[in-house]
Amino acid sequence: MRRLTIFTLGAAIIALALPAPAKAQDYGSFDGYTLRVKLIGGAQYEPLYAEIEKWESMTGATVDIISRKNHFELDREIKQDIAAGSLNWCVGSNHTSFAPQYGNIYIDLNDAIDKDVLAGFVPLTLEHSTVGGRLVQLPRHSDVSNLFYIKSLYEDADNKKNFRAEYGYDLAPPQTWEEVSDQAKFFADPPDFYGTQYVGKDEAITGRFYEMLVAEGGQLFDENWNPTFNSSAGVRALEWFVDLYNAKAVPAGVANYLWDDTGLGFASGTVALNLDWAGWASFFNDPENSQVAGDIGVIRAPKGSSGKRTGWSGSHSFSVTETCDNKPAAVSFITFLTDHTRQMVEARKGLLPTRTQVWADAKKEFQANNQDLLVQVFDTWQASMAEDAFTPPLIPEWIEVSNVLWPRLQGAVVGEMTAKQALDEAAEGAREVMEDAGYL
Amino acid sequence: MLAFGRLEWLYEPVCLMIPFYRRFANTPVLLLSPAVLIMAFVVVIPIIFSLYTSLTPYRLTRPDSLFTFIGVRNYVRLFGNEDFWSAFGRTIIFLVIALNLEFLLGLGIALLINRLTWGQRTLRTLMMFPMMFSPILVGFQFKYVFNDNIGILNNALQALGVTDQAIPWLVDKNLAMFSILFAEVWMSTSVFAILLLAGLFAIPRDPIEAAKVDGCNPWQVFRHITLPFLMPFAFIAMTIRSLDVARAYDIVDVMTGGGPAGRTELLWTLIARVGYDNARMGQANAMAYVSTILSLLFTYYFYRKLMQARRYMGGAQ
Repeated sequence: MRRLTIFTLGAAIIALALPAPAKAQDYGSFDGYTLRVKLIGGAQYEPLYAEIEKWESMTGATVDIISRKNHFELDREIKQDIAAGSLNWCVGSNHTSFAPQYGNIYIDLNDAIDKDVLAGFVPLTLEHSTVGGRLVQLPRHSDVSNLFYIKSLYEDADNKKNFRAEYGYDLAPPQTWEEVSDQAKFFADPPDFYGTQYVGKDEAITGRFYEMLVAEGGQLFDENWNPTFNSSAGVRALEWFVDLYNAKAVPAGVANYLWDDTGLGFASGTVALNLDWAGWASFFNDPENSQVAGDIGVIRAPKGSSGKRTGWSGSHSFSVTETCDNKPAAVSFITFLTDHTRQMVEARKGLLPTRTQVWADAKKEFQANNQDLLVQVFDTWQASMAEDAFTPPLIPEWIEVSNVLWPRLQGAVVGEMTAKQALDEAAEGAREVMEDAGYL
Repeated sequence: MLAFGRLEWLYEPVCLMIPFYRRFANTPVLLLSPAVLIMAFVVVIPIIFSLYTSLTPYRLTRPDSLFTFIGVRNYVRLFGNEDFWSAFGRTIIFLVIALNLEFLLGLGIALLINRLTWGQRTLRTLMMFPMMFSPILVGFQFKYVFNDNIGILNNALQALGVTDQAIPWLVDKNLAMFSILFAEVWMSTSVFAILLLAGLFAIPRDPIEAAKVDGCNPWQVFRHITLPFLMPFAFIAMTIRSLDVARAYDIVDVMTGGGPAGRTELLWTLIARVGYDNARMGQANAMAYVSTILSLLFTYYFYRKLMQARRYMGGAQ
């Protein structure tokens, strides 16, 4: 008996010491079940959904996509579902910026997903996906912005000579936002060519201001949730945008730009420097769509005067509702959509994975295929996701505070008020929001 | 019928024995009740419910807030809300300009098409095309037309040498409203044109012939016969369009989102942001109730004008 015990123990130790053979994930069996889901729609999200039929054939379940809209419309729809008490679906696309608004409608995935599976994700993305200690979403892909630029502008001898003569230092891809400002003004030749551009409305400009505020050493709120973005750091941050607008270094319409406008603007070859998301890289480098294909450089987002880089970040994700009638099926589905194979599908489109191993494997594949820009993009974004990324405050009031802030930011940009006036007015509005919500 | 009615009264005790739903006097009530119930269900109940929510701090994401009664606090807050009243005033200006432009252009188009003797049906069909587009699509179309950097309009103006500047169509204080008006007018002028064309088809020939015999010139015929005859049609179109324009949302949201700095903010872009993005449905409903005053005023005004126009033409009171 004793010999048998020793033998069994020995076998177990040997088994543990040997590397486990790679085993296919078991997604369970849900024969005949129909899983109702609401997913974010849009060209860059669709390739993943083509994989859904594989999960259906593996599990015997059927997926019924009852809604496929952009995130802002989906957000409205989910809020209406909450109000109407009609959360009769199981899986929904989510986002780190939106998740805190929804209260406890989603399950805590810490209790539903194996620790081993969660260990495969970049820890910071899981941290950003946690609201009030609950992992309410499984990150699908993350994003942060870095700086794209037209390479040939920096290689041009005349540009180098003239820039040095005008600004007193060598022309090179910018390391600080002050350098971006100098170079943008230097390259600008309106209305044919602009130094840079920025998104100018909705949560987009709030996010851009927020990251610049952090890079300037400021914060949106103090530890007691008093608005503090009207500090001197805030004024410096906002004046960066105002100054470029007044200098005509950015297109005159930036106050009305959103992501498509800036992306298409850079691809049109009329903008020198463009802070943007990684998902645009393939588009920028595609000669079918872009005038700057093959002439693109990319560097980490520059630093503000505090020495910190900008790094407004967020993750697209999937959540499972508390009211779901088959939570194991829903959890299986979102685990499938975020597994290694599926994240490789999205990574090939330039979307940033949330699994540690996919970063390495995707880069290896790009190197093998001589996709130099994508290799550079993955190197750059990996560093910024690890060191620079930060989310907005993960509170339900974020969107409401943003809606108070962005019209005032626009007001300063188009010259209706000074940066200080705009931020003071916005701080007053934000204080009211925080008071109503019981923070103050 | 009358005799039967009398008999019914005479035999009241007998009638009392007849079930409620079989009594003759109750027949109209019973026949109307499905319609009344449907109206109550789809109109009255939502109105009462939304009025109630405007008296609560109701948030979409916190259904329990529906049961907290705060009286007229949302309305009191509204009266000190500068953004709301700016949007209110801007909506009135937008409405007045849009309706007048659409009327003038619609009238011109209707008069021109009425003169055609060949291809009129094809033109009438073509004229309706803009109405067939979704307002969101129209918004996207004009957003890219008016884009300052890669938009077709600026590129055309620069290529033709009209300007060497990038005109900020969607940002400049006046141009942004103009651009939205342009899109709105482009999409909806045909509503006026079609109704006025119907009016032109219905004009009797006799007064026009008589005026010509009496020596009136074409302008006098138009001013004193055609136009007065068309005005009831114009006021019907204005009533319909004033309700539409007062609820303008899609085109504005896509083209400018109400910005920059609230320069193009209209009532419904503001209300939608408060109600859905901020999830403050109670406050949004209070805004919506105050804004319906606008629609009521315009509807009342156009109805009065319609009645006056019909009286002028000798029509029904």
